[in-house]
Amino acid sequence: MAIIADKATYRRTIDNVLSDIRLYFRLIWMQIRSQGQYKADMFVNIGTYFLTTSLEFAAVFLYFANFSTLLGWNVGEVAMLYAVTSIGFGFSEMFGAGLDIFPDTIRLGEFDRVLLRPVSALIQIASSDFRLRRLGRITQGIVALFIATAFLPAFHWTLLKVAAMCIGIASGTILFLSVWLLGATMCFWTVEPTELVNILTYGGRDMLSYPLNIYNQVMQRIFLFVVPLAFGTFVPVSYMLEKSLPFGLPNNLVFASPAVAIAFFLAARAIWQFGVRRYQSTGS
Amino acid sequence: MNMIEVSGLGKTFRVAKRRPGLLGGLRSIVDPEIKRVEAVHDLSLNIEAGEMIGLIGPNGAGKSTTIKMLTGILVPSKGHMRVAGFDPVRQRRELAQRIGVVFGQRTQLWWDLPLIDSLRLLRHLYRVPEERFAANFAQLRSMLALDEFIETPVRQLSLGQRMRGDLAAALLHDPALLYLDEPTIGLDVVAKARIREILQQINAERGVTVLLTTHDMDDIEMLCPRMVIIDHGRKLYDGAVEAIRERFGGDRALVATLDAAELAKLPHDARGWPMLDTLPDGVTLAQVEEPRLWLGFKRDAIPAHELVAWLGARYRLHDVTFQEPEIEDVIRRIYEQNLLLSVA
Repeated sequence: MAIIADKATYRRTIDNVLSDIRLYFRLIWMQIRSQGQYKADMFVNIGTYFLTTSLEFAAVFLYFANFSTLLGWNVGEVAMLYAVTSIGFGFSEMFGAGLDIFPDTIRLGEFDRVLLRPVSALIQIASSDFRLRRLGRITQGIVALFIATAFLPAFHWTLLKVAAMCIGIASGTILFLSVWLLGATMCFWTVEPTELVNILTYGGRDMLSYPLNIYNQVMQRIFLFVVPLAFGTFVPVSYMLEKSLPFGLPNNLVFASPAVAIAFFLAARAIWQFGVRRYQSTGS
Repeated sequence: MNMIEVSGLGKTFRVAKRRPGLLGGLRSIVDPEIKRVEAVHDLSLNIEAGEMIGLIGPNGAGKSTTIKMLTGILVPSKGHMRVAGFDPVRQRRELAQRIGVVFGQRTQLWWDLPLIDSLRLLRHLYRVPEERFAANFAQLRSMLALDEFIETPVRQLSLGQRMRGDLAAALLHDPALLYLDEPTIGLDVVAKARIREILQQINAERGVTVLLTTHDMDDIEMLCPRMVIIDHGRKLYDGAVEAIRERFGGDRALVATLDAAELAKLPHDARGWPMLDTLPDGVTLAQVEEPRLWLGFKRDAIPAHELVAWLGARYRLHDVTFQEPEIEDVIRRIYEQNLLLSVA
């Protein structure tokens, strides 16, 4: 990792990051245009995904058909947790599509071309696919949010709560993207890690759609301190619903979420770079 | 100025060998048998700026491995490299800015979008300033005759068109060095000639150093004054194409099936070969497997039909075919004669 020694290096690093981000969006836009050629397909896909994810939401209500609370959380509160998780995850699905198809990229030998370009390999891989159809999940998440508030007559929006939610969703996106990245990095060692990656991504989303305290202590610690997905889901929603956090953690922990998310991302990226070096040594 | 400086390059792969049988397969997971495969051995090469070099060798010779190391895709096991003034291992991205690579069998263009979109995107990927892009693009457009298909999605292009598109893509950022991997493979005769003309132009007018990997001897003969032969990870030959042609290649072979009985009646020499009438100038008896004879003849020494006529006038011919020199044969002959020529 480069040590930022002086202002000039600092400036250049910022410039590089900015131009990388600009390039990333340009590449994504190419994908969108590529896929947008099939408009009818696009709308059908978004609609279908909306319905699929709505079924997942319905499952939440199924639980509450028999029980009135889940460890102190009522149906509206769990619905809200589900919604926030879903939105953040939906964004990560959309932007992280390139990471999801990485096994194919490697298998087809296209990673060599990536290394032949003067651009960071990660940016190229991350932008190699973009799933506009995941808008279905994001839309469903937003709808779920409104349904949740309908079940919470005592809930009032404040500026801080809105901020917490936005920060939470943004952090959640980065955190889930980092998990996608870890999954993609596995490809440098194993041939087809797809199912394992799905456990971490879709499984993670599933688990975090329910209050963290229903899980045992070990799981709670994992989601808070090892793979801190809770910072994009349980932590912001607890703040919004004025619920306390486990392990005596402060209530406004949500405002540390961006830092946690970025730190986790940088760790994942370091492992990715290690994987790239391994690829360059073994050629596969 | 040296564009490529390579000395003592080596690459050894560690390949896990599967043990036979079911139990062996399971055992391979926990305790794999590692076989060391030396893909490249002690390779040294010096290429000056502006040269056009042909890289030839049979499949599995180590050509791709060498190119991958030169471009920074693969890290060598040992040796020292300097390409365009950069260390490919530690300065991969800086080097990428100065090189262009075209794979004959795989495109770097975006499949679903028009060619022009790919080129515009590559402009951003390579951070080419607006004016330079405009100037380059105009020049490439006319040199490669892209106008007819610049708006067509790449998946709808013919192979020859796609190759021209890939060349444009590789040259857009003014690379000093161009790697071409089988650029004429699969192309028809007209398209091949066209691509060769273009490559000639690129090298002569733009001064781009070109390293061309190919199986096609004609590519080499028409484009490259100098060639490098690689086999079994080693450099076998590095020098002028003419020398190779004089010694091993360039000879076509007339394979004639004579009448067995007639051949048996002829006196045979010490080798056991039939002694034929004095052969015309430039024709040699290369191989005998009675009743078949291989007559090697230089392209300009005697036209093929005249040789057939000459032979047919003296002996009964049952069958006649022609053989072009195979690169594998050239290499085999070099190997057999233990030739390791290096022309500095």
